[in-house]
Amino acid sequence: MKKKIKITLNGKSMSLEIPAHRLLLDLLRDEIGLTGTKEGCGTGDCGACTVLLNGRPVNSCLILSGELDGADIVTIEGLKIGPEFHPVQKAFIQDGGAQCGYCTPGMLMMSKALLDENLNPTEEEIRFALSGNLCRCTGYAKIIQAVQDAARELRAGRANRG
Amino acid sequence: MEQLTIVGKPVTRVDAGEKVTGETVYGYDLVLPNMLYGKVLFSPKPHARIKRINIEKAEQYPGVVAVITGKDAPWIHGESIKDKPFLAQDKVRCVGEPVAAVAAVDEDTAQAAVRLIEVEYEDLPAYFSPEEACKPGAVAIHENFAGYRKFDFIVPGSMPNVCEHFKLRTGDVEQGFREADLVLEERYSVPVIQHAAMEPHSAHAQVDPESGRITIWVANDAPFRALHEISEALELPKEKIRFINPAQGGGFGSKGGLKVEPIAVALAYHTNGRPVRVKFNREETFISTLTRHEAVVNIKSGVKKDGTLVARQMTIYWGAGAYAEKSPTVCIRGSLPAPGPYRIPHVKVDGYAVYTNKPVAGSFRGYGIPQGAWACEQHMDELANRLGIDRLEFRMRNIFVDGDLSYWGEKLHSVGLKETLTKAAEAIEWGQKDEQFKGSRVEGLKGTNIKRGKGFACISKPTRSPTTSAAGVVVNGKGEVKVLAGTVEIGQGCSTILSQVAAEELKVPLEKVRMAPLDTDVIPFDASTTSSRSTYHMGNAVRRAAIDVREKIMEMARPMLEAKKEDLSFSDGKVYLKDQPQMALSIGEVVRRKLGNEGDVRGDGSYTYEIGKDLDLETGHSDHASAFYMYATQAAEVAVDEETGRVRILRMSAAHDVGKAINPLNCAAQIEGGLAMGIGSALHEEMVIDNQGKVRNPSFLDYHIVTSLDVPKMIPIVVECPEPEGPYGAKGLGEPGLAPTPAAIGNAVADAIGIRIYDLPLNPERVYWVIQQKKKKKVA
Repeated sequence: MKKKIKITLNGKSMSLEIPAHRLLLDLLRDEIGLTGTKEGCGTGDCGACTVLLNGRPVNSCLILSGELDGADIVTIEGLKIGPEFHPVQKAFIQDGGAQCGYCTPGMLMMSKALLDENLNPTEEEIRFALSGNLCRCTGYAKIIQAVQDAARELRAGRANRG
Repeated sequence: MEQLTIVGKPVTRVDAGEKVTGETVYGYDLVLPNMLYGKVLFSPKPHARIKRINIEKAEQYPGVVAVITGKDAPWIHGESIKDKPFLAQDKVRCVGEPVAAVAAVDEDTAQAAVRLIEVEYEDLPAYFSPEEACKPGAVAIHENFAGYRKFDFIVPGSMPNVCEHFKLRTGDVEQGFREADLVLEERYSVPVIQHAAMEPHSAHAQVDPESGRITIWVANDAPFRALHEISEALELPKEKIRFINPAQGGGFGSKGGLKVEPIAVALAYHTNGRPVRVKFNREETFISTLTRHEAVVNIKSGVKKDGTLVARQMTIYWGAGAYAEKSPTVCIRGSLPAPGPYRIPHVKVDGYAVYTNKPVAGSFRGYGIPQGAWACEQHMDELANRLGIDRLEFRMRNIFVDGDLSYWGEKLHSVGLKETLTKAAEAIEWGQKDEQFKGSRVEGLKGTNIKRGKGFACISKPTRSPTTSAAGVVVNGKGEVKVLAGTVEIGQGCSTILSQVAAEELKVPLEKVRMAPLDTDVIPFDASTTSSRSTYHMGNAVRRAAIDVREKIMEMARPMLEAKKEDLSFSDGKVYLKDQPQMALSIGEVVRRKLGNEGDVRGDGSYTYEIGKDLDLETGHSDHASAFYMYATQAAEVAVDEETGRVRILRMSAAHDVGKAINPLNCAAQIEGGLAMGIGSALHEEMVIDNQGKVRNPSFLDYHIVTSLDVPKMIPIVVECPEPEGPYGAKGLGEPGLAPTPAAIGNAVADAIGIRIYDLPLNPERVYWVIQQKKKKKVA
């Protein structure tokens, strides 16, 4: 069964006609061609496919496209602020938060979701927020460091704006 | 020596920018024009004869382009032993073995058609442990083993199902045991685990119907070896095969060899030129790619009262799974150093790689070292405890130092072991047992049920030898540098390391250097991205290629500067006159003047490590078994809750002798990542395979890799004991990060609760029952 939906994807509105059972992950990757969102398990266990749905982090492999009419979706392709890296991207580059990079888009979206809510997370809060995003390369130390550094930069940015 | 400008600096990764934006295209992301989608029917049986396959219904399903079985792909492959069919031939040897495959217009259609394939099996006896499979009278899993093509060095055992028997013979162990004051014999075991790289496995293949040329797009960490294996299997000249590497989302040893590739190739022969993509989902990746060898390790040692090791005997059974894959070389290179990095006059090792009816075991980061270390290093603690000698002191008395003749007959040099031992132990305040460690994430663990302890473990690891790496370095008229190297960026950071090497030799900023994409049609040969060999081998090759192009550019500059060769010098990316340094031309300028804006100049370099004598098949001896050795010590402090059996790691140090840290930031990243993986294998990872050969936990929900909540405070320590042959003194680092980890944790747990645990993982259930049993014994 095909369904017509209107969504906002990375700030742009689009109309789509798609099978209602199509998963958001497959919609993004196969139909729209945005492969930055990764598939690691397809069963909601690894977090590689994390995107922001109406501002909240979700596993896009668990979301049916048919439910998305009116939704606002942000993927890794929408994380940059204009030509500039988002502070959390900058921190991942600086601190070595990405190795193979396959978990990185999901990790970044989850980090952004955390920092959108809490600009001053403790180390334990960061660990807890990222505990559904699996990484096999880094041992998480540099990722946690990067989120802390991004938080610091975002706080400084906010202070500067007064 | 000229001062290094970029080698040794903690520069950020050259591939980080494209990875944080999602631009990097991985194998799993790749879409080819007009491609078809493949799905596979996997064996539900651990060992069975295929009586009948009916593909009629599948063939008639709308949207299906091809349905194939073993009959349509009559090829056998295998790295060291040619034993594995592209698709099952006549019988299946493990659950998860590919039996048939479908190519269709989309994945749903292909999957639906797979369900329509009917197979009738006749069960055969199946074996699920290496010890069981090699007992006298066991049924042969490979009836035609004797007829398989094999590497020359393969020594099949006299027992059933043994595909390799490695022997090490030094001195006379029986005499050694007689001379000893204490003899101790123990048995350790390590279960099957999996690499669990975040990107699942996939491959794309296309066969050109006219030329017969095959192109394979796959995230394979050894494309030249895979090409060779396909070429041998299909009896097709290598020129007819091309591998293209998209980005790879982790590997850890799982993505070498052939797994999805043969299925994609076999299907591509039936699609009239259309490319086929075969993707394994996570469950399929768990059951039908590769695992790490389970091992049973028997160890017996004789030691003098003063702590001098006299003799060590080890018998190791490596569970190969259904096909040999890399089992023979894992058995050889894992068994050889298994007695540990110690001076021991009498040593006897028998390593057996044994076929079982479990999923295929293959290369896994560490290549047999973690299994041996789990046994050897805990055994060392037991010996020390029984002798009443401090565990660190006991190691120090026996450990390899420069100039030692190892028990495999090689004189050792550049041995940084002692420094790793000292530094790793210091970092967790060895000897200060009762101090509450304040920096822990779980500090404040108190109460009578909480027992704390410390432990460490050390290893040495050889690298695959002899091997070759070749590279090209190209400089264009803009002064931009392109590196052609067959090392695969699997996340380990090789693109950054190799860029640093090229930038160093040409004295250009790192931003000027880029890595060419990996395509076997244009990239020079490289043996493999395995065995922690790349920094050393490819680092040397890129360095030589960069020097070669630099020399060529200097030669080109000679007439431009009207100088003789000996009057010219090079620094800061410029060729200049020695006595008039203001007369200088940048490398880009030289190329531009000579060849114009579009021109470029290429230098080439290659590096082969020549070993001395091959390993002697009777004694296991070699005067140069490895291009270099990696040395490491890791130390752990743990808290064990005796009421629940839960082990918490409070902190863990990891001191690794890397020779020379070309990039200290990347070294720390490799150590931390390895350590975390080692912690997973110590505390919770195990592929549970039932008595029907079925994997019971093929998902990340049930197969628990470490999360951000599981990792403790990690203290990576870089030790630099330079290797004279290595680029700038570098050795390797990729694998050892996880090798001593379980043993270090096991030793800390034993220190905490006073009980030795012989089997992995140290999950709460196992630790709890071990404690309960001890309590029962006390009461009795």
